[in-house]
Amino acid sequence: MTFLDVFDQDLLSSVLRSLIPILLAALGGMLAERVGIFNIGLEGMILIGAFCGVAASFFTHNWLVGVIVAMVAGALFSLILGYGSVYRKGDPIVLAIAMNILAVGMTSFLLVAIFDVQGVFQDPGIDGIPTWRIPFLADLPVIGAFFSLTPLGYLALLLVPVLWVVLFRTPLGLRLRGVGERPLAAATMGVDPRRYQLGAVIASGALAGLGGAQLALGNVVQFTENMSAGRGWIAVVAVMLARAHPVGVLGAALLFGFADAIGFRLQSFGLPQQLTDAGPYVVTLLVLILMSKRFRKTREAALA
Amino acid sequence: MSALQRFGRWLAGPIPVSIVLALLIGACFMLIAGVDPLSGYAAMINGSFGSGPGLSNTLQRAIPIIGIGIAIAIAFRAGVLNLGTEGQAGLGALAGGVVAIYVPGPAALIVPLALVTAVVVGAAWGLIAAVLQNLLGVPILLSTLLLNYPARYFSSWVIRFRLDEPTSDLVASEQLRPDVQLSMLVARDSALADTLRSTFGPTSPITAVLTGVNWSIVVLILVVIAVIFMNRRTRYGFESGLSGQNAEFVRYGGVKPGPLVLRTMALSGGLAGLFGVMLTIGAPNTRLIEGYFVQTNYAWTALLVTLLALYRPIGIVIAGLFFAAIMVGSDAMGRELGLSPQIAAVIQALVIILLAFRVTLPHFRRRRGRDVSDEPPLDEPPIDESPLTAAHTPAPAPVDPAAEPKESER
Repeated sequence: MTFLDVFDQDLLSSVLRSLIPILLAALGGMLAERVGIFNIGLEGMILIGAFCGVAASFFTHNWLVGVIVAMVAGALFSLILGYGSVYRKGDPIVLAIAMNILAVGMTSFLLVAIFDVQGVFQDPGIDGIPTWRIPFLADLPVIGAFFSLTPLGYLALLLVPVLWVVLFRTPLGLRLRGVGERPLAAATMGVDPRRYQLGAVIASGALAGLGGAQLALGNVVQFTENMSAGRGWIAVVAVMLARAHPVGVLGAALLFGFADAIGFRLQSFGLPQQLTDAGPYVVTLLVLILMSKRFRKTREAALA
Repeated sequence: MSALQRFGRWLAGPIPVSIVLALLIGACFMLIAGVDPLSGYAAMINGSFGSGPGLSNTLQRAIPIIGIGIAIAIAFRAGVLNLGTEGQAGLGALAGGVVAIYVPGPAALIVPLALVTAVVVGAAWGLIAAVLQNLLGVPILLSTLLLNYPARYFSSWVIRFRLDEPTSDLVASEQLRPDVQLSMLVARDSALADTLRSTFGPTSPITAVLTGVNWSIVVLILVVIAVIFMNRRTRYGFESGLSGQNAEFVRYGGVKPGPLVLRTMALSGGLAGLFGVMLTIGAPNTRLIEGYFVQTNYAWTALLVTLLALYRPIGIVIAGLFFAAIMVGSDAMGRELGLSPQIAAVIQALVIILLAFRVTLPHFRRRRGRDVSDEPPLDEPPIDESPLTAAHTPAPAPVDPAAEPKESER
C-alpha cells in the first residue's frame, strides 16, 4: 500500500459520510446567523437529535420515526436558545455553552436511566436509515458516491441550492436577512424581527437534529456518549468561514469531510488514531488562519 | 432597607430561583430514572458535605474548578473569550507531570520546576490563540476552542504510546515519587494525623479535611487573593476590566488592545496550566492517566461557574464550591442508586440557562412600594443588568453603569 492508495474509489463516499451531519448542522447555524443570532449550541443540538433519534427508532423499529423525532427534538431543544436570546434577551453565547453541557449531561443520564447502559447503546432493534442507491448513476466511477446516500444525505445536498434560493431570491429570505442586518428597518416594514429570529433558531435546531440523526442512525446505528465530538463546533466554524453563505458552508463542510476521511485512512499506515483524530480540528484551524484576512477586513471595515 | 429585607429580595431574585428551579427539573430527571427525588437529593447532600469525607472530597474537587474558573474569569473580564482552558490545563498537567515524574533531583527543586513548566506550557498554548487574533484576526473564541482537540489527542497519544507503564491496568504513566507530590495538608501517616484522628475521631470534618485536602488549596487561596488585588489595585486589572466593558473606550484611552490580549491569554492559560498540573502531582492522584482531564470535565464546569459568578473572584469561590458539591454528591448518588452522575451536569447547566432567562419571583413588594412614598424606587437586584450580556457581546450592550455596583470587585 502506498500513500496514493489513500485516494481511492471509496474516498468520496467516506468524505460524504463525514460531511453530511456537519453540513446539516452548519446550514442550520447559517440560518440563525442570518437573523443575527450566533448559534454555538449546534454541538448540543446534534447530540440531542442523535439520542432522541436512536431512542425513537429503538422503540418503534422505524427509521423514519427516528428521523422525525430527532428533528422535532432538535427544534424543541433549540427553543432554549430561541426563547432565551430573543424574548428574554439572554446572551446567546452563555445560553449555548450551557446548552451544550446540558445536552451531554442529559443524554448520558437518560442513557443510563432508560436503557441501563453506560457509554454505548447498541441494539438490533434500532432501525438504521437505509442507503438509497439510484440505479445506474450509483455505478458511475468516482461521482457514483453522490448517488448512494441516505435520504438525509440527499436532503442535505439538496438544501444547499434550496436555501440559496430561499435566502437570496424570495421575500422570506429578504425578510430573514433584513432582520439580521437591520432589525429596526425590518420592524418598520411591519416584520416582527423576534418571530423571524425565533423561527430561524428553531429551524437551525431542527436541521442540527437531522444532523444528529444522520450521525447516529445513518453513519452508524448506535448512540455513543458525547458522539457529536466537536462536529457542532466545526459547523460553527464552517458558518463563520462561509460568512453564512450556503455554498461556502458546503465548501467548508467538504473540507472537514476530507480531513476526517483522509485521517481515517492514514490509520491503516500505522498512524495512531489519537493523531489522526486531531486532523480535522487542525485543518479547520489552518483554514481559519488562511481565511483570516477576510475576518480582518470585516473587522477593519467595522471599525472604520 | 434592613439586611433581612435585602436578603428576602435576593431570595426572590434570579440566582436562588434559578437554583431551586434547576433542582426541581433535576428531580423530574430522577423520576424518569425511577428514583425518588427526595432520597436522591438526600444521597447527594450526604455525599457532598453531610459527612467528613464528603466535605473533603467537595473541597478537593472545588480546587481545580475554582482555579480554572478564575483563569477563565481573568480572560472574560478583559473581553477575551478563552474557551480553551481544557487544552491549556491539560497540556500544563502533561508537561508538569512529565517533569515531576522523570526529572531527577531533590523534591524542593522539582516541585517548583514542575509548577513553572505547567504555567509556561499553559500560557504558551493560550498565547497561540492571542497571537492568531492579533496578527490575523482569528476570533479567540474559535481558536481556543479548536486548540482543545489537538491538546486532548496529543496528551492521550503521549500517555498511551510514550509513557504507558505496562504493569498497571490503567493507561497511565508510572507513579510519582512520594516526595514530589503535593501532599495532604496533614500527611495521612504522620503523627499529627494520628493525633487528629484520636482527638476528633477518624471521620470528623476537621480530620477529614486536614488529611483529605492537599496543599493546592493553599495555592488556590493565594491565587484568589492575588487576583482580587490585581483586579482592584493594578493598572492591568483596571485596563482589562474596562476593556471587557467597552473595548472602544479603552482604545481611545491609549491602551493597545494587542498587548492586552497577549497578557490576558498568557495569564489565563498559565493559571489554567497551574491548576491542571496540581491535579496530576497532587495527592491522591499521582500519575498521568489517559483522558483523565477530559473525563472529569473540570474546564467546562469551571466555565459554568464563571458565568454564574459573573467573573467575580469571591463569587467564583462560592459557585465553585456549590458546583463541586453537586458533582461529588451526584457521584455518591450514582454509586448508591445506580444512576449516571451526569445529573450534575444537567443541574449545573440548567442553573445557567435559567439565570440567563432571568427568572425571578414576581415583585410583590414593588406594587406595594408605589403607595409608600418614602421608599425609593427599588433597584433590580444587581445581577439583573447582567454583565453576562455586557462583557462579551460584540455589539455594545446597553448597560446602565449605575446598575452595576461594586465595579471594583470585578
